Amino acid sequence: MSQPKATRTVTIVNPEGLHARAATLVAGTVRRFQAKVELIKGRQRVEATDVLQMLSLGAGEGEQLQLEALGSDAEAALDAVTELFSSKFGENAE
Amino acid sequence: MKFADFVVPEAIRADLAAEDKEEVIREMVQSLQNSGGIDSDEFESIVKAILKREELGSTGIGRGVAVPHTKHPSVDRLVGTVAVSSEGVDFDSLDGEKVYLFFLLISPPDRPGDHLRALENISRQLRDDTFCRFLKQSKTAEDIRQLLEEADNNQFGS
Repeated sequence: MSQPKATRTVTIVNPEGLHARAATLVAGTVRRFQAKVELIKGRQRVEATDVLQMLSLGAGEGEQLQLEALGSDAEAALDAVTELFSSKFGENAE
Repeated sequence: MKFADFVVPEAIRADLAAEDKEEVIREMVQSLQNSGGIDSDEFESIVKAILKREELGSTGIGRGVAVPHTKHPSVDRLVGTVAVSSEGVDFDSLDGEKVYLFFLLISPPDRPGDHLRALENISRQLRDDTFCRFLKQSKTAEDIRQLLEEADNNQFGS
């Protein structure tokens, strides 16, 4: 029996891109779920629980990333992560 | 964005005396000031801005690394420095662990791309265990300078 898998594409819409605070928020969010979540940019595939890996994507404004989640709450996990991207990681604060 | 593009070599510190987050930041910004990387008039303003950013969320990103930073109008290009603490400092990191390697960045307010590229380079190099280990074991600023140069020359996997 294979685990549920979910995929999404997100576009980075905040000027700072996937910087330290944004990546930290993604990691914190993903940890709440069972699913294993990965971010993909071109040939790079990184774990969404690892800030260092996410920063190494150097993903800037206007770029697209693919999200993949594997696990019982895969869809919910990606809902939450997608929301972070589209809300610009609450960027009014910075 | 290579290390050579933004790290002020004279500001590198191989053994931080600081024992807490604010002291680390002060010590590193002082180093930058002493080496002419920033204006002395701006010292307090910069330290305050970096601490304010830490309040939004610790830049201790795990694996013994922190990237304290701020935008500041007094700089017209990205400046930064690197410091190592042999004892480690509690930085409220994501993984709860102490931090040993610090990369401090100050960027002009209107160039988020430069900051992101610097983070990209820093994190890419740090994903190499050898690079991390050598950095942590550095005894002098010259050791660190050399490591950064080797990293810029792609001598560590990336």
